[in-house]
Amino acid sequence: MTEHDRPRDDTMDADERGSRHAMASDTEPGPGATRLYTIHEATWWADLDERERRLLDGALTVSTLVHPGHLLRVVALRGEAGTTPETTGPSTGRVAWTGASGPVALVTVSGPTGKPDDEAPLDLVVDLGGQVATFVQAISLAPAPLRKALFAVRSRVPVAFDALRQWRTDRLERRPGRYTIPRTRSAPRADAAPGYAGERPRAVLFGLHWLELGGAERWALECIAAAKEAGFVPIVLTDRASSSPWVTREEMDGAVFVPITSPLEAHQDAALLNGLFEAYDIRGIHVHHSSWLYERLAWIRTRFPWVHIVDSLHILEWRTGGFVDIAVRLSDAIDVHHVISPQLRDYLVQQMRIPREKVVLATLAELTAGAVAPGERTPGERPTVAFVGRLTQQKRPYLFLRLVARLRKDLPDARFVLHGGGELAEEVHALTRRLGLVGTVEFRGADHPVSETLHDADVLVITSDNEGVTLTSFEADAHGTLVVSTDVGSQRSVVVEDLLVPRHPLAFLSAARERVVTAVSDRARREEWLAEQRRKVTAFAGLPHAREWTHDLYREWNA
Amino acid sequence: MSLSVTAVVVTYNRADKLPTVLDRLAEQTRPVDRILVIDNASTDDTPAVTARYAERPQVDVVRLETNTGGAGGFATGMRLAYEGGADFAWIMDDDCYAEPDALGELLSGLEAAEKQMNMRLPFACSVVQWVDGDVCEMNNPGTTWDWGRLLVRDIPVVLVEHCSFVSVLVPRWTMAQFGLPLSEYFIWFDDQEYTRRVTAAGPGVQCLRSRVVHDLPVNRGVNFSDVNESNFWKFAYGVRNEASYQWHHVDKAAALRFAQRVHRGLKEGHVSRRLRLELAKKFVEGLRFDPKPEFPKTVL
Repeated sequence: MTEHDRPRDDTMDADERGSRHAMASDTEPGPGATRLYTIHEATWWADLDERERRLLDGALTVSTLVHPGHLLRVVALRGEAGTTPETTGPSTGRVAWTGASGPVALVTVSGPTGKPDDEAPLDLVVDLGGQVATFVQAISLAPAPLRKALFAVRSRVPVAFDALRQWRTDRLERRPGRYTIPRTRSAPRADAAPGYAGERPRAVLFGLHWLELGGAERWALECIAAAKEAGFVPIVLTDRASSSPWVTREEMDGAVFVPITSPLEAHQDAALLNGLFEAYDIRGIHVHHSSWLYERLAWIRTRFPWVHIVDSLHILEWRTGGFVDIAVRLSDAIDVHHVISPQLRDYLVQQMRIPREKVVLATLAELTAGAVAPGERTPGERPTVAFVGRLTQQKRPYLFLRLVARLRKDLPDARFVLHGGGELAEEVHALTRRLGLVGTVEFRGADHPVSETLHDADVLVITSDNEGVTLTSFEADAHGTLVVSTDVGSQRSVVVEDLLVPRHPLAFLSAARERVVTAVSDRARREEWLAEQRRKVTAFAGLPHAREWTHDLYREWNA
Repeated sequence: MSLSVTAVVVTYNRADKLPTVLDRLAEQTRPVDRILVIDNASTDDTPAVTARYAERPQVDVVRLETNTGGAGGFATGMRLAYEGGADFAWIMDDDCYAEPDALGELLSGLEAAEKQMNMRLPFACSVVQWVDGDVCEMNNPGTTWDWGRLLVRDIPVVLVEHCSFVSVLVPRWTMAQFGLPLSEYFIWFDDQEYTRRVTAAGPGVQCLRSRVVHDLPVNRGVNFSDVNESNFWKFAYGVRNEASYQWHHVDKAAALRFAQRVHRGLKEGHVSRRLRLELAKKFVEGLRFDPKPEFPKTVL
């Protein structure tokens, strides 16, 4: 290993301590560096890429926040390929590492309130994970034996497997008390903020699950950009261990990154939040799918009652309710629930009795509409039926393959395209072989733009067992593609009534087969359905837009 | 944030009165967000009238292929209002002229009542006057035993357990929880059945400051002594529907008491034996007639 240890005065705070060394990465340290921590010494054994640099910045930010008043001596590891970062939790206190992990830097830092001269440094080890970003969502969460068993059952009898799953969903959804959620109480909101000593940058605190590909994250990044535009420093807290591939997106430029990868020790929660509120004039909190932040909202509202608190909700999870039910539980501490679909608005207001005034429906339709360049369909092409989506349990690609197995008899000339990748890729290919569909189904992945598949398709089949509102439906409509979808979530908002099919697999296969055949072979009916689909999509697009709502909201916070 | 109200006007062959109804809706001090006109396949000049109003941005006209009766029209209109994302459907006949503050008073009255009672209430209705200013006989709501509970607290609202579909504000949750009016009733007692159904969640309210005028030819309530050849068809629906409601949703004795009431009225009015027999058949039909409500689905 080569020790770089290159001093660079331009990144330092000008103070009298002298022997300090800057980070050796080619880029400047992250925005946390000047306000939340100060680097005193740095020794480097490897250069970091931009993502790793942002992760280290986040790790140092969160470390100094949860250890206020301490001088920290932090070893930064580069983990084995495929591993995810560990920036918080018990592992940061263990001065041992295994496998192919190795140190990339030794950095001595302190927080803004630290007294580094008065005490011995506290040693921490943070792991930046593998050098190549891994998408955690592509990794199955089930343990190996269970995963194999699931694979075996789902691959061999997918319809029976799914029927049991749907039956279980129905049963759990109907269980007594499903909609009785105890509400956590918090102090009421107070309008006036106390006078601050000194000028602090105004900020908005965002809570995210992670910085990986996802609809909620895409929307969260839009909000982060909007906060910057409104004059705020965005503070982005994530609470799920992840390689954070999106930390390098331009929306994150200038954002303070606070990655929590494992639960903090009890006293560290308040230390972290107090530290953020001391360093920044936090005017508002916008929660985007972050359990950690949700759970602490009642305390935040009680401790900092002037802070505006809103959340954005995307999808109602079967069986657990997911983030929506967490939001309901903490609703007393939340000023406004932003929902992206009419179904969620009705769930909150009607099922959960959240006051109507607290629920704002503002859709993400515009996030897609601007990006779509619809193309003219060429008449006479082979009819094409497509599936577009991640290959996950929720999307049920195996049902699409079963549908294709039936449709190839009805539509012998048709082309079938399955576009996507994900954790079920191996199973999907195995099932394709078992059903004798090799050569019948054309697989497309990241090498093809989705718009190309939608342009090729006459019918897009959405087989999901749960959705919010699929943005793909908008894209499909822009390409003149009919959407046949399971009647889940708010799909009814954008899909033609006749083309909504049941969620249960047998009923799905039967209904979807009939609809797809009609959509492909009955031109008059197809035109009618397309007109109705266009009407529905246009009406949905006419609902208030989330982007406008957020801009107005942040402007109000910065007034 | 502001809650959205869709006014639902069900019309059938009232081309003369419909413009006044729609003009009054457009003049509300608390503006209506959307006006939905359900044309029950009118055979007069209604399509020409509605075409004129449909040019206004907030007016949507739906012309049904067949006459589905008031019940079918209200069920369709409320379903469409719900699917359009309305927080409230404000339903009324095509001869109901709303005073300028009618909607505002319904909303504020309902809100004040809910706040006082600390519960959500399933509907709010207006005071319905005839053209001469008297109370409209046909549209008096039935009050609860504690009807004055809010009046004594200086809130101008009376608790009611049923009313007619002449200016009724129905919240979205009521439609979601209890469904829509029974379109199978076609006409008569659909409003009574619906408002009685939804008061399972709590009383409705009549907002005394919300006023509408019901422009009926004569100011007279429903009376079985009035049955004759020309109006028999309406009474036939009324007997079948109420018999069905009392038998299936109240109790058997209530159905028999209703039969007795009908019999007494017919006798007092010296109604012919043939019509009495026909109404008796309708009563029996009602005992076998038990339609189930349709529930609206979330679209917008």
